[in-house]
Amino acid sequence: MSDFTDTQLPLDNTSDTAAEQYDPAHDYHALNAMLNLYDADGRIQFDKDKAAEREYVTGHVAANIKGFASTAERLHYLVDHQYYEGHVFERYSPEFLDGFYAHAESAGFEFGTFLGAFKFYTSYALKSFDGKQYLEDFPQRCAAVALELAAGDEHDATRYLDEMLTGRFQPATPTFLNLGKAQRGEPVSCFLVRIEDNMESISRGINAALQLSKRGGGVALLLSNLRELGAPIKHIENQSSGVVPVMKLLEDSFSYANQLGARQGAGAVYLNAHHPDIMRFLDTKRENADEKIRIKSLALGVVIPDITFELAKKKAPMALFSPYDVERVYGKPFADISVTEHYDEMVADERIKKTYIDARKFFTTIAELQFESGYPYIVFEDTVNRANPIEGRVTMSNLCSEILQVQEPSAYNEDLTYAHVGRDISCNLGSLNIAKAMDGGLAGTVETAIRALTAVAEHTSIDAVPSIRRANEEGHAIGLGQMNLHGFLAREGLMYGSDEAIDFTDAYFMTVAYHAYRASHALAVERGRAFVGFDRSDYAKPAGAGNYFDKYVGDDAEPLGPRTARVAELFAHYGVHVPTVDDWKALQADILRDGIYNQNLQAVPPTGSISYINHSTSSIHPIASKIEIRKEGKIGRVYYPAAYMTNDNLEYYKDAYEIGWKAIVDTYAAATKHVDQGLSLTLFFPDTATTRDLNKAQIYAWRKGIKTLYYIRIRQQALEGTEVAGCVSCML
Amino acid sequence: MAPISVPRKPLKLIDRVSAINWNRLEDEKDLEVWDRLTGNFWLPEKVPVSNDIPSWQKMSEDEHTLTMHVFTGLTLLDTIQGTVGAVSLIPDALTPHEEAVYTNIAFMESVHAKSYSSIFSTLCSTEQIDAAFDWSEQNEYLQKKAQIVLDYYEGDSPLKRKVASTLLESFLFYSGFYLPMYFSAHAKLTNTADVIRLIIRDEAVHGYYIGYKYQKGLERVSDAKREEMREYTYDLLNELYDNEVDYTESLYERVGLTDDVEKFLRYNGNKALMNLGYPALFPAEACDVNPAILASLSPNADENHDFFSGSGSSYVMGKAEETDDDDWDF
Repeated sequence: MSDFTDTQLPLDNTSDTAAEQYDPAHDYHALNAMLNLYDADGRIQFDKDKAAEREYVTGHVAANIKGFASTAERLHYLVDHQYYEGHVFERYSPEFLDGFYAHAESAGFEFGTFLGAFKFYTSYALKSFDGKQYLEDFPQRCAAVALELAAGDEHDATRYLDEMLTGRFQPATPTFLNLGKAQRGEPVSCFLVRIEDNMESISRGINAALQLSKRGGGVALLLSNLRELGAPIKHIENQSSGVVPVMKLLEDSFSYANQLGARQGAGAVYLNAHHPDIMRFLDTKRENADEKIRIKSLALGVVIPDITFELAKKKAPMALFSPYDVERVYGKPFADISVTEHYDEMVADERIKKTYIDARKFFTTIAELQFESGYPYIVFEDTVNRANPIEGRVTMSNLCSEILQVQEPSAYNEDLTYAHVGRDISCNLGSLNIAKAMDGGLAGTVETAIRALTAVAEHTSIDAVPSIRRANEEGHAIGLGQMNLHGFLAREGLMYGSDEAIDFTDAYFMTVAYHAYRASHALAVERGRAFVGFDRSDYAKPAGAGNYFDKYVGDDAEPLGPRTARVAELFAHYGVHVPTVDDWKALQADILRDGIYNQNLQAVPPTGSISYINHSTSSIHPIASKIEIRKEGKIGRVYYPAAYMTNDNLEYYKDAYEIGWKAIVDTYAAATKHVDQGLSLTLFFPDTATTRDLNKAQIYAWRKGIKTLYYIRIRQQALEGTEVAGCVSCML
Repeated sequence: MAPISVPRKPLKLIDRVSAINWNRLEDEKDLEVWDRLTGNFWLPEKVPVSNDIPSWQKMSEDEHTLTMHVFTGLTLLDTIQGTVGAVSLIPDALTPHEEAVYTNIAFMESVHAKSYSSIFSTLCSTEQIDAAFDWSEQNEYLQKKAQIVLDYYEGDSPLKRKVASTLLESFLFYSGFYLPMYFSAHAKLTNTADVIRLIIRDEAVHGYYIGYKYQKGLERVSDAKREEMREYTYDLLNELYDNEVDYTESLYERVGLTDDVEKFLRYNGNKALMNLGYPALFPAEACDVNPAILASLSPNADENHDFFSGSGSSYVMGKAEETDDDDWDF
């Protein structure tokens, strides 16, 4: 989850001159809006957006930024006034810092778009406590982040700085926003917490929602284990009120955190499809739901096992199992049981209370809700667990549905202290700009990114939730993501979703995986240890006997590397070596000997804000629109042009609705093979689609081995005759 | 609201009713618009307006007063359109399906009127709300425009009613819509703007449909009558425009936006004429609206947002369709 723009200093109270507000020639918002209106010749006015960026940076920002005579003076001032964290800067000599900052400024950085600049200054840049002055520009923000990540190592600091300044690597918002600052939240993107079927665990869950929202980061909670509406409490029947009231409590907790700062807390809850409350869970998102049960801001996710699809195929009724009974029969929480594996057994077991719904109706309902609200997300539980190399079960995902890691339940005493500290999840994310990473040769960028993300994990200790702290200390899990796939493909003259584009995606992700594992192996060697549980993971299984890398080196492995001449040429052109079977064999042997340092390495987030700053297309999606309309609480309505788009190459910028869900799923399927966690996959439909079209796409995605589905987005075009004339985003 | 609450002439609906058969359409447009309107159904509770409280608190007192005045003005118009305007069109309907569309329009106008109240109650105190409603009763321009429109609704010309209704839907609302669009383009009250954009999305269809029905009606009358209607339309628009300019000044003068709002009025005046099938009245160069406003108007549901950005104005009701065995053939 990447779109987190919280800060302890959120208020941009800088002032505009009257001209900037009311004179269209200087009103950067008006200039930017012209991007969405064709000029007299029917061409998109890219120059107006650049003019807006210049007007904003050289006008508004220059008038509101605090100036200093030297780097030393600036750093002293910021540390003395408690804007910057002193110990971050004390580890470097003043001479080094002088040169370091001079190096940062000498790169001559400019934002690619108005939105990039506007987003950076309103949401990321350090501001004075009264919000009236900016205290950093983009290179200075990168410098502060690099200095904290490198923890005193001059060489590393320079590497991190260069990767960020060139735009090859962009840390996720919480890291990029917070590091170096004295008043700040955690640099971690997202958290996942299990809830067990007891009041202590529910209380801890709510506590986690509050504590983690306060520190920044989205929180997802697992509800599958909670007993259903009408289940017994202390053996007395019809006592429990099920999952919906817990959702209400969580929603209120997240919005309470909202009142402390200027941003909303954000949370998600996941429920297994075979939980008896599943329909009530979904109905909370109905447009006409009763206020008492209506869930507005909480995101919902459904965990669907393979058996649900089989039942729908057979037109069979679908059994929902009481988690209360299942836990008593199996001695394990419901989420830790594979429903697919035990379905027939549980149906036959009279001790387990069951209710039945129609499996196809269940899928229709999901699709209906997705039309109305965009939710629920879907986790294909069995696909995820088949691909999971780590011992244990993955039972949920996070707010952006790309984090997929194992957890372990915690147990609590009556006073809410821990009887057993289980394992929950935090994840540090960062993404490569595929186009710029290719320009830079890729290998070095991947390694630097893995080291930077690991540094975040090592510097983080979430004391508020001990189960998260424990798992982070033991696993150092990170999530390296990717963005600007569509921008890169268009720049190179490839159509998104074409055979060559899918070939590129496959080879690119395989190459990234190779360098990511190599870097994590190097870290294990340097630190002298692997992550806890390495010996029990698929990484430690002997070659040819279920080892994770057998898919690259085994006898029945698919051939590695580009299938098409065009893609082979592309890699050669950028001097990027595609790993061979021998490369993988050598790495497999190294890893079997020394282990890897990170329990998880890759996860591809949706990349909202950071892709605007970086001027990339989001994640590995197609663009949503040639000119995207971006609306956010803090920045209002702003227009954003796709990366590398000009009036001459528009043909390569078909949007996601034109490209269609099949090409998107195929692209993601190619990438999924090489990613140990998940990828946020949004599906796009025109409003002429029906629930059946959504279901078809879901069935297809499941069959292609997709692990999770994120939002569903529906585009409604204005009724003919009511559209705004000359509007770029209104045109198909 | 004193002048509005005086007893009005009783409105006669229709003499006889026959069961509506949606499988026998006389005008395809009725179904198209019905589908669009029902697909667009929404309630104000969907939008988390309370997320605008921090932004509201940062705004100046002048901006507060302006916002409240603008929204009370809009409330009055939506009340008229919901309880009188759309209903008064029913007796003139050419097809039973057209009647059904008007009932939908009438209902949604009431939803709109209520949304302003829900914005008020979220952002302002009771005292402020009462003061704003008092203001609306005393603002002569606002009362005058209400009076003009109401008189036509109660007159005996079906065509004139449609003209008045279209001008209300496509023109009179927009002096009010300008403000939330302006604010949202400048990062203020963005969730409130979502509500307004949902309203605009509806009004765009309403104005278009009523204008379309007007043109259908014109086809059935004599050339002389047609000419009379044309003159009448431009006269009414001019009368309303002059009043609207005064109204705009009474609202926007203090924040210096009057000129820009007036351009926007002219832009929408032309738009209303277009809906009625007439050429533009105002020259294009007098309508060069601030592009930030123009771009933010687009009723398409295509903006990008995420969990931190509010609910957006993008989702629609889905059409359920069962999967068949082929879909599950794997």
